[in-house]
Amino acid sequence: MLPFAVPSIESVVKALGVILGILGILLCLRILRVRPPDLTSARLIRLGIVTVPSAAFFKLLAFAALILIPAAAVAVANYHVFEGVENVEGCASCHVMHPMVNDMHDAGSNTLAARHYRRRWIADRQCYQCHTDYGLSGTLNAKMEGYRHLARYVTRTYPEPIRLRGHYLNQNCLKCHKATAGFENVQSHHTVWDRLSTNQMTCLNCHGLAHPSPGDRTPGSREYARLMRAPE
Amino acid sequence: MAELERASQPEGHTRREVLQTLGVLGATGAAAFGTWGALEALVPAGTAEAWHRSVCRYCGTGCTIQVGLRGGKVTDVRGDPAGHNRGVICIKGATLVDLPVLPGRLTRPMIRRGDGFVEASWDEAMGLVGERFQQVIASDGPDAVAFYGSGQLFTEESYTANKLFKAGIRTNNVDGNPRLCMTSAAFGYVQTYGKDEPPGCYEDIDHADCFFLMGANPFDCHPPLFERIHQRRRSHPGTTVICVDPRRTGTAKRSDIHLPVIPGTDLLLLNAMAQVICEERLVDDAFLVEHVRFSDGKVTVRFEQFRRFLDDYAPEKVADLVGISAHDIRRVAFLFARSTATMSLWTMGVNQRAQGTFVNNMLNGLHLITSQICRPGATPLSLTGQCNACGGVRDTGALAHLLPHGRLVAKEEDRREMERLWGVPPGTISPRPGYDAISLFRAMEEGKVKAALVMCTNPAQSLPNIARYREAMKKCFLVVSEIVPDSETAKLAQVLLPAALWVEKQGVYGQTERRYQLVEKLLDPPGEARSDLQILVDLAIRLGHGDLIRARTAEAVWEEYRQLSGQSKYYNFAGITYGRLRTLPGLQWPCPTESSLGTARRYVAGDDALVSPGRKIDFYGQPDRRAVVYLRPYQPSPEAPTKEFPYILTTGRVLEQWHTGTMTGRIPELAKAAGRGHFEINEQDAYGLGIKTGDTVRVRSRFNAMTGTAVVTSGPRQGVLFAAFFDAAFLVNLTVSDAVDPISREPEFKVTAVAIEKASA
Repeated sequence: MLPFAVPSIESVVKALGVILGILGILLCLRILRVRPPDLTSARLIRLGIVTVPSAAFFKLLAFAALILIPAAAVAVANYHVFEGVENVEGCASCHVMHPMVNDMHDAGSNTLAARHYRRRWIADRQCYQCHTDYGLSGTLNAKMEGYRHLARYVTRTYPEPIRLRGHYLNQNCLKCHKATAGFENVQSHHTVWDRLSTNQMTCLNCHGLAHPSPGDRTPGSREYARLMRAPE
Repeated sequence: MAELERASQPEGHTRREVLQTLGVLGATGAAAFGTWGALEALVPAGTAEAWHRSVCRYCGTGCTIQVGLRGGKVTDVRGDPAGHNRGVICIKGATLVDLPVLPGRLTRPMIRRGDGFVEASWDEAMGLVGERFQQVIASDGPDAVAFYGSGQLFTEESYTANKLFKAGIRTNNVDGNPRLCMTSAAFGYVQTYGKDEPPGCYEDIDHADCFFLMGANPFDCHPPLFERIHQRRRSHPGTTVICVDPRRTGTAKRSDIHLPVIPGTDLLLLNAMAQVICEERLVDDAFLVEHVRFSDGKVTVRFEQFRRFLDDYAPEKVADLVGISAHDIRRVAFLFARSTATMSLWTMGVNQRAQGTFVNNMLNGLHLITSQICRPGATPLSLTGQCNACGGVRDTGALAHLLPHGRLVAKEEDRREMERLWGVPPGTISPRPGYDAISLFRAMEEGKVKAALVMCTNPAQSLPNIARYREAMKKCFLVVSEIVPDSETAKLAQVLLPAALWVEKQGVYGQTERRYQLVEKLLDPPGEARSDLQILVDLAIRLGHGDLIRARTAEAVWEEYRQLSGQSKYYNFAGITYGRLRTLPGLQWPCPTESSLGTARRYVAGDDALVSPGRKIDFYGQPDRRAVVYLRPYQPSPEAPTKEFPYILTTGRVLEQWHTGTMTGRIPELAKAAGRGHFEINEQDAYGLGIKTGDTVRVRSRFNAMTGTAVVTSGPRQGVLFAAFFDAAFLVNLTVSDAVDPISREPEFKVTAVAIEKASA
C-alpha cells in the first residue's frame, strides 16, 4: 500500500495534457519573439549542464514547439478522447446526453439502455459498448461524426432534441446477441437476416426505443426537466 | 540594406509577423471550420434522405411509422418513437419497404373476355361499369346492386362509397369484410354502452396488473401490443397474464395461466367466472347500483335474477364442457376481480363465433360487475383486426344496417337526420337494412344482387365456405378494385380496376383505440392505377350523382366528414383536422375542438369531454346512462363435434402473413418464413390417426373437403386442428362453416366440425 492515492490513468493523462498545452503556448509565444539575429548570432546559451549555440537553441525550440509538443498533444488527446470517452462520465459531460444517462440509470424505465443496465448485462462503459463506433475501432464515419458533434456542441448550433444522423449499426447489437440461444430461437431474426446484417433494417424496429424518445427530450415536454438534470 | 530595413522597423512584432500569425490562425480556423462544413455535407444521412410519418398498412394495432424516402423511392421504414407504439413495429411493418415495389401489380383496367381479360382504358372500363350498374338499377331496382368494401380502405373512401350507395343509388347494400371480423365486437359494445368502440386505450396496458387475453394471439398477430404487455411485466413484476385459447400459441407460452378451452365453449367460461364473482362476493355493489343495469336482452331484470341465471354456470357444472378445471375457473375469476387493474384484450376467437355478440356482452359484463373499468389499466379493449375497420367502416357506418356515427338505417329519425345532413330529400335513404356479407353473397347466388363493386378485399379466399360463394360471385357482374390481377377474387371479376396501394394515395386510418392517423401520399401508383376514392368519384359521376359526391379529393372528403361528426353529439371529432394529423401522431376521438388533445378514456370525467358535469363516470350512450350487463344463455355451436365430424377446425393468422397474402405473399422473406398453408394437428390426435408431419391429409366438413399437408404439433389442444388462410394454394375456407351470429351476422370461422384422415398416397 502506498501512502498516497494512486492517480488513475485518466487523471495523469489530463494533467499531462494540461502541461503540454501550457508548455506549447509558452514555447510559441517565445518563438514569436525570435528575430533573425538570434538565429545567426554566435551567442551561446546554457541549459543546465548543456551549452548550445543560439541558432541551434532556437531551432530546437522550434522543433519542440512546432513538432514535438503538438505530436505529444495529439497522442495525449487521442488517448484522452478516444479512450476517455468510453466512460459513461465522459458521455455525460455534455448536457444533451443527460437524458440518456439518467434514463439508463432509471430502474423503472423500459428502454433498451435501461434494461441492459438494470440487468447488468454490460459490466462497465455501457455507452461505449453499444456505441462502439466512437472508439478507436469504430468506423471512419463515426469518427467524423464525433468531430461534427463536438463542433456543433461547442458552437451551440445543435437542435434539440438531438437525433442520430445516419443510422445505428446493428453490429453493435449483434456482436453480443448473435449466436446466443435467445437470438437464434427467434424465427424472425432468420427471416430477415440479410437485411439485419447489412443494416437495411434496424434491430430497433421490433425492440423499441434505446433511449428516451425525441418527444420526451424536447424542451417543454413533461419529462424534459426530469431527464435533463445532472446525473448522479 | 538589411541593416537599414531593420533600423526602420519598430521593436516588437512587425506588421508582417502579425499578418503571418493571423494568417496561420486564420488558416487553422479555416481548416477546422472547413472540415466541419465538409463533414456536415459529407456524412451520409443513413438509409433515407427524408422521413415522413405514416401508418402501417396491415393490422389493427395501427403502428405509427416513419417512412424514409430517397430518390423518390421508399428506402426504409421505422417505428415512430413519437407514436403510440413508441418505435416498435413488427416484421411485416419492417418490410413495408417492399410494398411500393411489389411484383405483379395491376397497372391497367381489364375487362373480361371469355376466360381471360383484355386491357382497357379507364374510360372503357368505367363506362362499362356505369352502364351495367344503371341497367341493373333500372331493371331490378337499387337493391340489385351492392358495395362490398374493406377495413383496409381509407376512411374517405368508405365514407364516399357509403354515401354514394345509400343516398345516391338508394340501396343499403353496403357491407364489407369487417362483417367477417369486428361486427360481434361492435354489436357487443353498442348493446352494452349504447356506443360502438372501446372505452379504453393502449395506454391502459401500462397500468394493468392483470391481463385477460381471450381468443387473441397478440404475440403473432398484434406484436407491438404484446411487446407493450411484456414491457409492463418487466417494469411491474407480479403482473399476471391469463390466456384463453384452444391452442398453445406464442402468447399462451408466455402467459402465466393458459386455459386451453374447447372451441365454441367460452361463454360457459365467462358465465362461470361471473358466477364465481357473484357467489364469492367479488362484485362491486356500489358500482352496480350507480352505473349498471341488468337485462335479459328484452327487459330490465334485477341483480338477483342475474345471480340465479348464473347458477347453471357454476364452475363444477361447466368445467368439463369447457375442457379445463373448475379450480382454474375459480382462480381466474378471482384474479380478474381482485387485481388492482384488469384489462382484457380479445379479437377473432371471441368475435368470429355464432354467439360472438353474447361473448362480447359477457366480457364487458365481467368488467362492469367488478368495476374493472374506467380506471387506468382497467378496461375491456377489443383488438381490431384491420388497419381501418374502426375508423373506416364502423365509424362511417359503411355496413348494411348503419349510417354514419352510430345511426341506424332502421330508425326513421336517424335516416331523416342523415338526409338533412347530406342534403338529400327526406325519404331518399331506404328504410330496409341491406345485405350483410354472407347474405350479400347468397343474394348473388339467388340472382337478387346482379352487380357489385368489391374494393380492397378478397372474399373469394376470405369468406367461409368459399366454394358456394365463388359460384355465387360468378353469377354477378363483379367489379373488383385490386392491386394485383391474380387474387382469387380478381380471377372472378368482370371488370378489374388497378388500385393504388398504401402511400400511393392519401387518407385516414382509424385503429383499435379510436386513434385517427393520416397516411400521406408519398409516391405515384404504378401504371394507370388510381386510388379507390378516384374510382368511386368516377362511378358517382357516371351514375348521375356528381351533385351528391362533391368532395372529390381525400382532403375535401375528410373536411366534409369531419364537419359531419361535429353534428353528432358522441362521435364528435371535428377537432381532428388534416393540419393536426400532419403534425401529431394521430388523435383519439372524441375530439370536439381543435384545441382538444383527444380522449384516451371514454365515459370518465376529466378525460372525456362528453361526460355530463357533476358525474365521475357517465355511460352517456345509454338513455339511462347505465351500462348494461346481459344474461346470455349458452348454446353449443352449430358445429359442435359429431360422430361423423369429431374434430374441430379453427382458423387464424400467422406472424409473417397478412390475411390472404396478396401483399405479404409477394415479399420473399415473409413468404418463405410462413411456408405453405398446412394443417396443424395435435400430436395425440395424429398418433391415433397414424399421421406424421409431412403427410397429406384430407379434412372434410359438412361443407366441403380439402387436402393439405399435416404438421404434427403440441399447439392445438387435443381434438382441435388449426390452419391459417393466407395461402391461395391452400384454401382452408372451403371447409369452414358459414354459420353466423344471428345478431352481428358475423361468421363462425373459429368452429367447424371436421373429419381427418390420411389421404391415400
